[in-house]
Amino acid sequence: MILLESLTPCFQGLLPSWLYTCSLSGVPNVAILSHVDYVDSRHVALSFQFFNKSKRNIAENPKAKIRLYDPDTMKAYALRLRFVRTETEGPVYESMRLRIEAIASYSGLKGIFKLLGADIYEVLSVEEIAYEAGIAAEPRAVMGRTRAETRLPFTLKALQVISDQIQQAPTLDRLLDSILETLENILGFRHSMLLLASESPDRLEMITSRGYPQGGVGSEVRFGEGIIGMVAEARKPIRIAGILRQMLYAAAVAKRAQERGLHSAHRSIPLPGLANPQSQLGIPLVVRDDLIGVLCIETDDSYRFHEEDRAYIEVLGGYLAIAIQNALLRERTEEPEDRLQATSTPADLSDDCKRTPIKVEYYKSDECILVDGEYLVRSLPAKILWKLLHEHRAGGAVEFTNRRLRLDKTLNLPEFKDNLESRLILLRRRLEERCPEIHIAQSGRGRFRLEIGGDVALVEQP
Amino acid sequence: MTARPLISDEIADFIESGLSINVGTSSKALEPDGVIAWAAHVHEDRSQISIYLHKDAAQAMLRNLHVHPEIAVLFERPTNHRACQIKGTFVSTRNAKPAEQAKVAVQADRFCKELEGIGIPRALLAGLPIWPCQAVQIRATELFEQTPGPGAGEPLR
Repeated sequence: MILLESLTPCFQGLLPSWLYTCSLSGVPNVAILSHVDYVDSRHVALSFQFFNKSKRNIAENPKAKIRLYDPDTMKAYALRLRFVRTETEGPVYESMRLRIEAIASYSGLKGIFKLLGADIYEVLSVEEIAYEAGIAAEPRAVMGRTRAETRLPFTLKALQVISDQIQQAPTLDRLLDSILETLENILGFRHSMLLLASESPDRLEMITSRGYPQGGVGSEVRFGEGIIGMVAEARKPIRIAGILRQMLYAAAVAKRAQERGLHSAHRSIPLPGLANPQSQLGIPLVVRDDLIGVLCIETDDSYRFHEEDRAYIEVLGGYLAIAIQNALLRERTEEPEDRLQATSTPADLSDDCKRTPIKVEYYKSDECILVDGEYLVRSLPAKILWKLLHEHRAGGAVEFTNRRLRLDKTLNLPEFKDNLESRLILLRRRLEERCPEIHIAQSGRGRFRLEIGGDVALVEQP
Repeated sequence: MTARPLISDEIADFIESGLSINVGTSSKALEPDGVIAWAAHVHEDRSQISIYLHKDAAQAMLRNLHVHPEIAVLFERPTNHRACQIKGTFVSTRNAKPAEQAKVAVQADRFCKELEGIGIPRALLAGLPIWPCQAVQIRATELFEQTPGPGAGEPLR
């Protein structure tokens, strides 16, 4: 029998599959499957989302057949199956649920487009469908990559190189960028973003990204929304391949739901980065039980995730989480350096820019700062910036230490896990993107300098 | 007063528009089986259809149909997942005529364009065998909505 493991490309959900069942009286039924999940060398799982004829047939006659296509060659396979059980918990169910709910939240279908169970089938036989032999077995590049190029990049060697490179990052700030640089250089992922836990218990904020025209630092994602929010909520990796097809499937469900007056209580959320990603991978960054953040990788071609990727991905997530947490702890506990190091300078300003005062408004009730009418930051980064600008205006202060901010009662920092260092990085990066006239430059460990390249008008709003 | 035909003009147009066509049958041992078809033709009486599938694909299916004449045909447009399923009984089969090849080719080509619309390159589809075809005539007895979501599986009249 052909080994199920050899059909890995067929289990990516890049092409549709079909399920054939029949009743005890021999009446057949055909159903489209959005995904067939590999479970182990003798089992596959099919998603059970709606009660339907297939489900009724299987209840009286457990025999089934599925037709799968290899997305690289269009070679067809027939799997003869026997229904074993429906699972409503456990790793197979969870993996399917997270993927389906991520798609559902992109389509505003949370609560409607959901997994009722993972139907586990024993695979009795795997056959090539002789008259659908597909194109040559080792084809020229299709869907962007040859089969050889789609082999997994996650190897022990790659993880070792990533580890070596990341360890060289001298600061948390540099570490965050280094992670994404290394993912591109070593694993070839050109589009990635890193989000860290914010002050709000159910939100993440983007701290750095790579490969997108607009950085998007400071963008928020709520737990449970999209792939990133689902990863944060479940603290499990999620991989989605063939997003276009799955989004079209969800859109069809959404249209039907609307026609029937069914509306989800949840809004649809935009995709996080690429406009039309083909594959997404979300990796939770967890140390013990603490969610440090989420790493999201996107590809604009149909990247094939392999079964064995799963273990490497979890190891990578654990390693990155520890690296980030160690950098946070190190910067928090180290004494501020006395000697100032070289600082970067604010962006070159045109004469026009220098003459025009920058209007910085602080909305007290929302804890939010607008610069020249445009949103900049909110919450702790907003309070920090407001404090720095006030001290600068009152006494010309330019040098600050993290420790002094930490002791400042007006900032209301929690005594434990205040995330101050990551909040400062977020603030600095938002300023670089949105208001380069105001610059925060790290001038040593636990120490930074405020540099202002123009007149600033401070306006406090209720 | 004549009864309303099972297949409306609108559904007939949909069925003949170049879709993914999947055909289900069952063996004597009640083993379900399935094959793909390339084209469909709705007869004037709107209660019979003919489907066209590659001759090699038809062999096992015809063996099944002689034991269990019940047949299910799922029509789906890949780019928006609109779908319906016809349940019916096997009437007859014959070799597709050369004059029918163009009609089959047009529907198969439209289907391949649909697949391109969901990101499957035309180059990948080159290995799919289309001709020679077997024509299989079916008397449709039931028609079901099959677009995914609430209401899938309900009768469609």
